[in-house]
Amino acid sequence: MSVAARELPFPIPRGAAIALTAAAPVAVGGVMAARAGVLAPLAAAPAIVFGVIAATAPALYIATAVAGDAPPLSAVARAIGVALCAFGIALAGLVLPVTFLSLSSVTDLTTIAACTAALGAAAVIAVMRLARELQLRTIAANALFAVWAIAMLGISARLWWLLGVEVM
Amino acid sequence: MTALVEEPRAVALPGGARAIDMIDMLLRDRAGMLARVRAGTDLHAVIRTMAATIAVALVVVGAALGSFRGGVQVGYAAVKMPLVLLGTAALSAPALSAIGAALGRRSRLSSDLALVMTALAFGALLVAACTPLLLLGRAMHIGYHRTILVAVAMFALGGGAALRMVVGELAAARAPGWRSAITGLTIVFTLVAGQLSWALRPYLVRPQSVDVPFLRQVEGSFLDAVPEAIRSARGIYREPAGRWGSAP
Repeated sequence: MSVAARELPFPIPRGAAIALTAAAPVAVGGVMAARAGVLAPLAAAPAIVFGVIAATAPALYIATAVAGDAPPLSAVARAIGVALCAFGIALAGLVLPVTFLSLSSVTDLTTIAACTAALGAAAVIAVMRLARELQLRTIAANALFAVWAIAMLGISARLWWLLGVEVM
Repeated sequence: MTALVEEPRAVALPGGARAIDMIDMLLRDRAGMLARVRAGTDLHAVIRTMAATIAVALVVVGAALGSFRGGVQVGYAAVKMPLVLLGTAALSAPALSAIGAALGRRSRLSSDLALVMTALAFGALLVAACTPLLLLGRAMHIGYHRTILVAVAMFALGGGAALRMVVGELAAARAPGWRSAITGLTIVFTLVAGQLSWALRPYLVRPQSVDVPFLRQVEGSFLDAVPEAIRSARGIYREPAGRWGSAP
């Protein structure tokens, strides 16, 4: 197990990190829902986040294992959990500004842009954290990780875009 | 005696230091002030003092900006200007802690808030120190757009100094994710400050405006306003002057 994996992953209690991970996507979906006047984003935002991760994480493990550089399955699972919590914590810090920008604007575009930027930034931070937790060493494994990250972010962005078009 | 000399600078002030001593330390010994924040010494007092410093400094700046129109606008701008910076700090500081924490930085919301408030207080004091330039411009009747440019330059100076202070402190700590945290804070701060200042306008009030409202009706956003303001400064008006009479 890596040194990074043995340390406490966050400066906040584990329960608080998990709670933020669960609540933050709902909060951003709530901002979108309040603007659009429909409830769908409340459930759709967390569904996209957790659904895409659940659907693509096995591919990451298989690919890095085939490349000969995957940590044990438990370590990969733990790294993904830490990255998800990183996503939730980062997003929680952006919820206040996103809410303010949305409430103080007169156009739907500002709400979509602010929510998208917050989710995108949190996702990139989560990918950075995942890369550090996995500590992949070979070029092939890192290349596979990059491809996986691009695919995962692309799928999420596409689903979020479709949601935005649907509700706005 | 030697032990006293080798005490960290963070304890240069006693825990219950007077506010004026803390402000003096901020101006004369920023490294010491930052060390105090880093050590977590009496953070609530630091936050309170810095919030009061920002409020007082920006009341002065707001009043100077409002003096362009005079009358009740002096009071309006003096009230609104501190709200912009304090509101922005309250909305933006959690982003610094959250992004840093997500990337493994050992951050605490209270110490990050104290750091941001300390840096903003320093920036606000610099802006307040530039206020005579605004008054000079007023005395020389340099006009509306030039007054805005002077104000923008003043706030750029104060903002740059505040950002340099935060960057310097986080860079010195070398914690993981500090660059991302700074980038996130800067982006969030810029967007929120822009939108909040836009929502609370006017500050100067255009000369041809008849009314002096406390707040303009919500229309568009800060980002919409930037190209409009550039066109307006070049004398190209999209709408009749009356409609845009009191912006920004």
